[in-house]
Amino acid sequence: MSRRFDIHYVLDFIPKLLAYLNITLLIVGSSIALGLLIGLLVALPRLYNVPGLQRLSRIYVSFFRGTPILIQLFLVYYGLPEILGWLHIDVSRIAVLYFVILTYALNSGAFISEMIRAAVEAVDKGQVEAAQSIGMSGYQTFRRIILPQALGISVPLFGNLVIGNLKDTSLAFTLGVMEMTGRSQTLGTATQHFIETYIALSLIYFVISVLLERAFVWLERYLNQYAGKEQTSRQQRMAKRWQARLIPISDRGGKQG
Amino acid sequence: MIQLEGIRKSFGKQQVLGGINLTVQKGEVVVILGPSGSGKTTLLRCINYLERPDQGVIQIGNQKLEGKHPGRSEIHRLRQRTAMVFQQYNLFKHKTALENVMEGLTIVRGVPRDTAAEIGIEMLEKVGLGDRLHYYPSQLSGGQQQRVGIARALALNPEVILFDEPTSALDPELVGEVLEVIRRIAEEGITMIIVTHEMGFARDVASRVVFMDGGAIIEQGTPDDIFQRPREERTRQFLRRITPEANYSI
Repeated sequence: MSRRFDIHYVLDFIPKLLAYLNITLLIVGSSIALGLLIGLLVALPRLYNVPGLQRLSRIYVSFFRGTPILIQLFLVYYGLPEILGWLHIDVSRIAVLYFVILTYALNSGAFISEMIRAAVEAVDKGQVEAAQSIGMSGYQTFRRIILPQALGISVPLFGNLVIGNLKDTSLAFTLGVMEMTGRSQTLGTATQHFIETYIALSLIYFVISVLLERAFVWLERYLNQYAGKEQTSRQQRMAKRWQARLIPISDRGGKQG
Repeated sequence: MIQLEGIRKSFGKQQVLGGINLTVQKGEVVVILGPSGSGKTTLLRCINYLERPDQGVIQIGNQKLEGKHPGRSEIHRLRQRTAMVFQQYNLFKHKTALENVMEGLTIVRGVPRDTAAEIGIEMLEKVGLGDRLHYYPSQLSGGQQQRVGIARALALNPEVILFDEPTSALDPELVGEVLEVIRRIAEEGITMIIVTHEMGFARDVASRVVFMDGGAIIEQGTPDDIFQRPREERTRQFLRRITPEANYSI
């Protein structure tokens, strides 16, 4: 039924699939952005031991971590309109893409909340006490001491999440969303060169994943500079900046003595 | 002046402090001694409310706090009058030595960055780290890190500096440099409360020694009183245990 393998089709398909890359990236980008917000909201009750809410957030996380994303897609797409229907809210005219983004956001929100929790708890408590002891407020401590270090700690985890999310978006075609994988289905059907579409498709996913991985490794190194033994460019810049200030001080000391 | 009245603290059913009264005059260097588990560190941590006492009054200058639930802003104001040097240094790991010292000045006190940098450099020079201003904690030795911790406390010009076993986490060869720095700033007349196990240092630097055991102050006095003429049996026992070399005979 399928025609003979022809490498030219792969080259031909790549730009055709890339035309839909923006939809894939839109799903990844917006669901991760929304997921960060959800993740933070879900992590807070557990970080601050808020009774009641803490339990809710635990249930939320274990549900989204414990069920396949494909089922979650179906549940949100078919289930949510039913529930909202009882409340007389009609969502039948909302594009399927938004349901997909919502599902991926809810899903990554669960993983991101765990990531935030782990990263915040990994910053040593002694530094929090030191910040309190010099009179910093809770917010100042979080913003200036915990957050910068938690970010560095969470980057490798976050990178895995984003790459995983990118690959998971390929399931959106099951609901008929025309992103890259959806497009590959139609190309395959039209030309009967399925293998070539899948090769083209996997090449694209692979290259984007590798680029993302590189970017996150760079980011991790950038955010964790302070943990290294070598002088960083930031230290050298600061040395230069405050050097002018050093000289007058030693001068002043000299004059007094 | 610092005044503690009837400070009580329990962790669960375990009573750690059983009603401590202590007054520290301006410029005094008070060293708290005692076996581990005697409540020294908890007492120190109650003074800046890192640990909330269950009961009692803490007064620093004209700032007075009572019991378990003072307001957040009251605690905040109390902490601005104190500074602490920790056993594990607790430096901000993502900030350089200078930034560690500047942090409290710029963020809490609202000192302009340039002025804060000047004060920071001065303090780091004072602890002998003028050449390590832009080093991250990971690039410094334990002794250097602790000296940054001391500079961070000094920079805030607090009414009292609390030292919580400042040399206990250090390699033996680095203890000296840190004690030397503390000794030097003690001579400047800054009020200090020090929890330590370094007896020689305590004897040297203290204007008053407080001996604690079982969550209570057993006795207090000048270093000579406590080390030469301890009145209480428990103090004698403790001193015998930690200075065994004095009892050796051949």
